[in-house]
Amino acid sequence: MSKVELTVKGKKQDFDRSKGFIALLGWSLNAIEAADRFDRRYVVVAPHWAEEFCRENEIPFIPWDFERLNERSFEIAQLLQDLGVDVCIPLYEETVEWAGAINSVLLDQPRLFGQALLFRDKSLMKRRAQLGGIRVGIFEEAHDKGDVIRFLRRVNQTLLKLEGDPNDPIHMKAFDKAGCLGHRVIRTPDDVDNVPDHEFPALLESHLDGWEFAVEAWIHNGKIRFLNISEYVTLGYSVFVPATPELEQYRDQIRGEIEKLIKTFDIDFGFIHPEYFVTKDNVMYFGEVAYRPPGFKVFELLERAYGFNAYQGMILAFDPKSTEEEIEAFFPREVVDAKGHAGCFGVYPRRRVVNELQIPKETEEHDYFEFHELQPPLEQKVTKRNAFGTHWGLVYFFGDDAHRMRDLLKAQEELDFYV
Amino acid sequence: MTTLSNDARAALDRSHKRFERAWERFSQARPFARAGHLPPLLDASMSLLQQPGGVQRLYPHAIEFDALGVFAGSDWSEPAALRPELVSGTFAGKAPIIAVELLSELRILAIAEGLLDHPGMDATQARGFLETLLALNLARLFPRHDEADRTRPAQQTRAITLTLQFIVEHIGYASVLDAVVQEAESMLAQRPILVQTICHMIAELGRSEPESRAKPLFDALFRPSAATADDPGVARYQAHLSAMTGEEIEAEAHTFARHLSTTGLASAYHAVLIRHLRGVAPTLLPIALALSSTGRDAMLSYQELVLRLIDEAVYPETAQAVYGLHALLERGALYFPPVPRGLWRQIVHPIRKEVQIKLREVYGPAKPPRVWLLSGLIQVLGQPLGIGQGDNPTCQSARALSLWAQSDPGYLLQLLLWATRDGAIVMSFEGEAISSKHLDAALAGDLHTELDPISLILVPHLDRIYGEMWRRVADRGADGHRWINPEFHGWWVQRGFAICVDIFSGAVIDFDAFIRRFHANYHPYYNGNQPVIFPQPAGIASTTPHGEFVGWHAITIQRVGLGPSGEMRVYFNNPNNEGRQDWGGGVVTSVTGQGEIPGESSLSFDQFCSRLYLFHYDPLEQGEPDAVDAQVLAEIAHAAATSWAAGRAFN
Repeated sequence: MSKVELTVKGKKQDFDRSKGFIALLGWSLNAIEAADRFDRRYVVVAPHWAEEFCRENEIPFIPWDFERLNERSFEIAQLLQDLGVDVCIPLYEETVEWAGAINSVLLDQPRLFGQALLFRDKSLMKRRAQLGGIRVGIFEEAHDKGDVIRFLRRVNQTLLKLEGDPNDPIHMKAFDKAGCLGHRVIRTPDDVDNVPDHEFPALLESHLDGWEFAVEAWIHNGKIRFLNISEYVTLGYSVFVPATPELEQYRDQIRGEIEKLIKTFDIDFGFIHPEYFVTKDNVMYFGEVAYRPPGFKVFELLERAYGFNAYQGMILAFDPKSTEEEIEAFFPREVVDAKGHAGCFGVYPRRRVVNELQIPKETEEHDYFEFHELQPPLEQKVTKRNAFGTHWGLVYFFGDDAHRMRDLLKAQEELDFYV
Repeated sequence: MTTLSNDARAALDRSHKRFERAWERFSQARPFARAGHLPPLLDASMSLLQQPGGVQRLYPHAIEFDALGVFAGSDWSEPAALRPELVSGTFAGKAPIIAVELLSELRILAIAEGLLDHPGMDATQARGFLETLLALNLARLFPRHDEADRTRPAQQTRAITLTLQFIVEHIGYASVLDAVVQEAESMLAQRPILVQTICHMIAELGRSEPESRAKPLFDALFRPSAATADDPGVARYQAHLSAMTGEEIEAEAHTFARHLSTTGLASAYHAVLIRHLRGVAPTLLPIALALSSTGRDAMLSYQELVLRLIDEAVYPETAQAVYGLHALLERGALYFPPVPRGLWRQIVHPIRKEVQIKLREVYGPAKPPRVWLLSGLIQVLGQPLGIGQGDNPTCQSARALSLWAQSDPGYLLQLLLWATRDGAIVMSFEGEAISSKHLDAALAGDLHTELDPISLILVPHLDRIYGEMWRRVADRGADGHRWINPEFHGWWVQRGFAICVDIFSGAVIDFDAFIRRFHANYHPYYNGNQPVIFPQPAGIASTTPHGEFVGWHAITIQRVGLGPSGEMRVYFNNPNNEGRQDWGGGVVTSVTGQGEIPGESSLSFDQFCSRLYLFHYDPLEQGEPDAVDAQVLAEIAHAAATSWAAGRAFN
């Protein structure tokens, strides 16, 4: 076994030895901060470049480069086990399978590794869901452009479209990337030409016309301990919590779906972040599920709305030593305990050439506006968005009324933040 | 202490709440995570600092900035290493950097006030730093406007000004006294219509250092005469006046007149005196108004009108109208036949409701709207070169008002009547009438209201019409000023049109011929010694003190003539309220001492040429373009090419 340097010295950690020792896989300052303020011993497992920062700030740290799983994965599992780590928590899509592999050793539950692989492959995930009796849309794996065109044609034939009718779009997603990364909408065979070859293989899905939303669920001992519904105003642009009453009315139905998911994927503990569609006739379709914190800062929004730290909630849910009472006391009551609605909006420049960042007056002067994380533009020319692209930063809002929040977030789409 | 409107208070509360949340997030974060919370904190700080009253709310946190690491890892972490000379450069930067700078200044103020002990800087050093900083940034402390400022987001400018004002109020004006006095004197030398900023400066100075170099100005405003030596207040002064003998009153009149002509400022007491004299001793009015034989003659010719104007418009609240009246009479404006008639009409004509509301909104309820309007009218007609555009990008409209007040005051009175009676004005453009009524707000969409009453009422109309004229010439493939300037301003704008910039490519074209033409039409040595008959609109490429291009700016060429040192100078009016401009490369406009009439700026003819890009001329006057020395032309071309024209194609 090669030697791995461990920087856990020097720091007086204020922790309770009756509680678990957790490892965070991946670099997230917000997660580290949450762990640092919590009552459990922790260690950060992240790439080498974080080492100096951790040493300066006395953050317990083990350097590790998360490439593809290899024979060394057992090495890190062994190392964490020797340290006395009870469980590890994946912070990013790329560390989910590592967490599965390591936890299968730490907790002596070999099936966790297989479970992690399901979470990492959107195609396997859908099949598993389907086997478990969960409704999913039509999907297929594509290995080249020909597969995509065939799928597009077949889906539209199924929909009884005639030659010349506009196609229903299909969605193409990378198997193993988070959120909107590598997500394309394809309407015509011409769209397929724009897909670079390196994006294959990929998952193809039919388009579901309906209301898309996400769920965050904290699970311990196989039970849901807190369930949040995140309402997307426009996918890829904006989200807020708690959702409007119109979406919250499905809460019981959604809880049922999540319970099915827990059973199908054999999830005993941890945190999941699935996405669903609800169609006009109230049928719930499963989209995908991730075993890690959501992007788009939903955790931060939850903290603003409810006052609890969602990362700490994750630590509790993962820690096998967490007690029922502790969990009961930690999580607030869903919806009723929220002090208001917290939302954020991802800004994309609307113009092709931009000179400066200028928060629109309508935003700046709105009661709900809190702060933004936008930076002045580094370049004047805005690169064209392909696929869903990445926003330039988030703008945060908070207020009492869900409908005002929804309309406000929607209204942001028509404003220029970069001029 | 100014009271805030409900809107301003709501905005302040909102920004304050936002700041406190950002502060909470920042200060409660683990030290290693604070960096991520800093940008939102800086953003919230900027938004709070730009609200009146905001600095005060933020200041209590200043003692914690260092300890919590607001400056950690930045150039501001060691206050001892900071240099006040560099701050003005930082102020010209981007918002987050300005925010750090302002927070650092407030931290230094906390050190200077003994609220914070800092190992690297003691209270004396902190004070010294702030004094130097203020002296070097007076323009920001008392904002006068230049084009570079106007194009920067106004909120940043406001945050800087409010923070500096907060600092100076805490450490005292004494520290920056000399610099401020000089500033006030040179602003006053230009005899602006709006003097609030100057009065504010003088009041602050006089209060903090009563026996200083600021004394003459302070006295002129607050204790101008023997009977006002203790600043008795308007009511008691009125009582004093009633008890005075004829000789005492005459002495008062002389004293006030002296202040009026040396400073251009009229104190509230002066207005009381004028109203008093109008009742009991009108024959002393010419003395109290500091009139020469010209003014005296005008007053005698139109005595009834002058007395009526005093009744209607001269009050302690509108004391500057005393200077306006002085200037109106001195320049003989009443001898333009339409002027006295137009004034009589304006006195009696009712003002439409929305104009009244606007006037009351901006100038307050102390006097009825018609008083504000009339006193403003007296000033505009009396001080055409004192009209300013305020903090608005409407130099064209301000310039037009100044031109009409000078050359066509009857027309100006007509426009005002239309605006105040009909709520719209109509101009003709190439034979077609354009009414301001149904046009969208153009540049002045959100008019900043620090303006004289006439500009306040007319500029929105003028700006709309000007915008509409631009719309109509948009597809003519050449610079629209060619057609618009004569139509907008009047027939006396010459139809010959010279521009040295290709409006599509931005390239400089035929600069040599352009400058020769300007010499042949304006320079007395090349135009047969002809004066400028009517002031002419012209365009300047305005530049920063480093000579970098800022934008195109409208000015008026007033006259061309020899300066006191024998060189040919162009005297022009800059409607941006501030004639003193440093345009880089040694091109610094002068406002006094080079033969300027108050309100004029001047540059040597060559320097003026180096920033000129557009002018009008009479095409039938040929002049002697070929006689201009090639060496002089080369120097002018070089000065242009290395400043505003840098980076442009240049022929």
